[in-house]
Amino acid sequence: MVLIRLGVVFSVLLLAACDRPPDVFPPPEQRHPVVAYNPAPEAMMVEMSDPDAALHIVKDIYGQSDPSWRWTAQNPTVKLLVLSTEHLRLHSDFAIWDTGFKSTGPLEISFLVNGRVLDKIRYTTPGVKQFDAPVPPDWLAPDADTTLAMSLDKIYVAPKDGARFGVILVRLGLKQ
Amino acid sequence: MLHVIPVLWAALFTIATAWSLGCLFFRTLSLPLQEWEDRLLAYIAGISCLSAIMFLLCATRLVRRGILLALGLAIIGYAIYSGVFRFSGNFQSPPTRKMPALPNKALAPLPTIWRWIFGLGFAVFTYFGFFNALAPEHSSDGMSYHLAEVAKYSRAHGFLRITTDVYANLSQGIELVYLFAFDFGRHSAATLVHYSFLIALVFLILCYGRRIGRPDVGAAAALFTYACPIVLRDATIAYVDVALAANLFALFYLLQIWDENRNSKLLLPIGLLAGFGYEIKYTAIVAVPYAVGFVIWKLLRSREPDPKSGRNAVWRPALIVSAVAISCILPWMVKDWIEVANPVSPFANRIFPNPYVHVSFEENWRASLATYGLASRSQIPLQVTVQGDHLEGFLGPLFLLSPLALIALRYRAGRQLLLAAAIFGVTYWGNIGTRFLIPVVPFISLALALVLSDVKWLLPIVAVAHCLTCMPDLYRHYCAPGAYRIENAPVKAALRIQPEAAYLGQDPTIQVDRMVEANVPPGETIFSVNQGGQAYLPRDLLVGYESASNEVVQDILWTPVVRDYQPTRILKFDFPPRALRKIRIVQTANVPDHQWSVSELRIFTNGPSGSGRAGMTPVELPRAPTWRLTARPNPWDVQLAFDNSPVTRWRSWQPAEPGMYIEVDLGAAQPVSSVVVECSSDTGPLKIKLDGQSDATSSSAWNTISDQPIESRQPIRYSLRLAATSEIKARGIHYLLSLPDNPGADDLRRYARYWGLTQVASLGDVRLFHIE
Repeated sequence: MVLIRLGVVFSVLLLAACDRPPDVFPPPEQRHPVVAYNPAPEAMMVEMSDPDAALHIVKDIYGQSDPSWRWTAQNPTVKLLVLSTEHLRLHSDFAIWDTGFKSTGPLEISFLVNGRVLDKIRYTTPGVKQFDAPVPPDWLAPDADTTLAMSLDKIYVAPKDGARFGVILVRLGLKQ
Repeated sequence: MLHVIPVLWAALFTIATAWSLGCLFFRTLSLPLQEWEDRLLAYIAGISCLSAIMFLLCATRLVRRGILLALGLAIIGYAIYSGVFRFSGNFQSPPTRKMPALPNKALAPLPTIWRWIFGLGFAVFTYFGFFNALAPEHSSDGMSYHLAEVAKYSRAHGFLRITTDVYANLSQGIELVYLFAFDFGRHSAATLVHYSFLIALVFLILCYGRRIGRPDVGAAAALFTYACPIVLRDATIAYVDVALAANLFALFYLLQIWDENRNSKLLLPIGLLAGFGYEIKYTAIVAVPYAVGFVIWKLLRSREPDPKSGRNAVWRPALIVSAVAISCILPWMVKDWIEVANPVSPFANRIFPNPYVHVSFEENWRASLATYGLASRSQIPLQVTVQGDHLEGFLGPLFLLSPLALIALRYRAGRQLLLAAAIFGVTYWGNIGTRFLIPVVPFISLALALVLSDVKWLLPIVAVAHCLTCMPDLYRHYCAPGAYRIENAPVKAALRIQPEAAYLGQDPTIQVDRMVEANVPPGETIFSVNQGGQAYLPRDLLVGYESASNEVVQDILWTPVVRDYQPTRILKFDFPPRALRKIRIVQTANVPDHQWSVSELRIFTNGPSGSGRAGMTPVELPRAPTWRLTARPNPWDVQLAFDNSPVTRWRSWQPAEPGMYIEVDLGAAQPVSSVVVECSSDTGPLKIKLDGQSDATSSSAWNTISDQPIESRQPIRYSLRLAATSEIKARGIHYLLSLPDNPGADDLRRYARYWGLTQVASLGDVRLFHIE
């Protein structure tokens, strides 16, 4: 058995060369982080069609009603990460339901960034709407969570079951 | 139910092969042993021999089922042919042609009452032990490394150079025996082999009691050990602690026999078992000085002269034991030396610095294993005897009486037992988990039984009481809810009446394995912060803490979400332009609680030295291929401070100490006017200085250029997430496994797109991401 073990020692020594790892190196390939590493601007947009949208929804956005949109309640709010603060615009694609509109009449919607009102718009007709406005850079902090919200002055309450509906939201977020 | 047959066959085939080897070995030596002792000790020695053969086969990549089958059949066949299995029934060693049977002390018979107590206790705990061992293996360490390495070796038909898993660097003497069984019967076969050690140990304890003329003590101690909850739990999973206990007890036993008859042939198996202890577990290295010291001490005391030389024959026996033990230990040291540049990896990394295991890992690991999060060591006695949640198992309330074992010092046998317990237990303080006490349990059991046997009827009463308190239905009333223990006998799962897949599918770890296997193509690598059930996962899973390179990946992964890891701290050395060939940033502070790290080191010039153009805007010197970079310690990561990536950094991976440095050789003297060191906040209160050398000649001394860097803060104004995953992807890792309790798991989940990740599967809150 001693012979077997000694054989093992020497066979292992023969099978592999002893090689000390080097400890001096040339400079490595250079990275270009700012240019290459920031994700595309669409990363800051919460698409209601995205299965992961629920991860960003803070409140008042219902579960998926359709592959591409969701009903909201009165204060639909999302949270997302701001990658950079420059040249960003708050953007929302939504629709005002004509049946609901008959009940509520014109809607006044406030658009908020981190709780500050960016704009307040009165919509006097139902149908597809789009909001897009620049966000002052000092309202945002880079690489930090930011809340974006819409606040409706009134909502439609279904007479049958009391369900409350705001707008039909397609996307809400920031774009450059 | 038929599925259990290959498992049983593989285990029995392995056991028979090892036993045959041991019997042949012992027959060759013609050892003066009683028949039962001979068979039991031969099994333990045979395991060591089989392990040595498996090492050779692994080193030559010849671990193939056909070869193992032929080898096993040849060994068993030859053993049968040689007649080594013939029981004479007289409990005497069978004579050989070379040497007649030596007169030897007969083993005392077991009294009837003890036959009943031992028989009944053995039957009851064998019911629990056997069916737990036979049930599909899914123990934590068994799945994550003991059998995980075995599975890798099985797939590779031998040793693989594994540098990303510290557990692969540990000695694996028993794992190689598991490999023999695994190749035929997979995981449960290996577990059954481990269980066989407990059976051998229990009967060895019984034999020892009979040998010292105290069969009652032997029977009681055998039950104390067998019923002990942590011993039975450990023996029925693919761990190695009970194998180690059996090996050490066999060593002790052989030494006692040698002390009685001084047969020099016993020195070979003594050396073999002393060395094999190290092969099973590093902590058993103490077996070598114990065995050698025992032999020297006894020979010195006896003052017996060598019949040939007339001198006191001390050194030759000691040398034989040492040489055989070293021949067991050396192959593992050489393997580690070749594979990971450290013969005792993953320990002693300060003595053997290497790119594979960080000093910080070793120190944190040691600290963690020495405390297990206990507030005080005074908690240990109750933890290891009755509670068992923090220290992962319990011995049973009987062992609260362990201090009484000291009374056994009155007896010669008691002194021997307690000496062995003290020596084999000395490494316990390095890892205070209850199972690290298993090697001393047989000795304490025997010593305690010796003491208790002094009071008439006390020993059987205590033995029965111990068995009762070690019944799973009873101990669940006193142990802590999280204590590691056997809970029942999974008979249906063991016999495969409940299919193995269904039984294993109840284990969340296996569920994650299956999710990963279903969604990650073969050949791909997955990174995870936590261990998994690698034994069942035919993919390469890198675990965050398990190697230096994995720790670097983990550091990169956490940098975007841990602000203290980000390079926001800027230290700038400004000085009049001068021509420098080499630059060194030297650490001058001793900061025991913090590591030193450098995210980027940038060198600036504002024109030729002495040109007087000090007013020019400094320009960073481009990092030329002719530059040469190094660092002390951890030179292997120095490039991370020169890659222009904010998510990578060179780290000392040990507390900051004066004299640590990062060095740049510019290849030729160049004008330099400032040096900027970008660090993270977690480096603590560091002090650094800038040294320079004008040329590379040996006579050129290092001059301190400045020791007063100007410090400023540079906030990170963009997300580092994509930079991190790009770095990880560049290291060949395309999948991330995120568990809910992992740091940053919530960020990965919510901001997968920012990381450039696509979730490919999930299981509850466990998510598998693909790096795009």
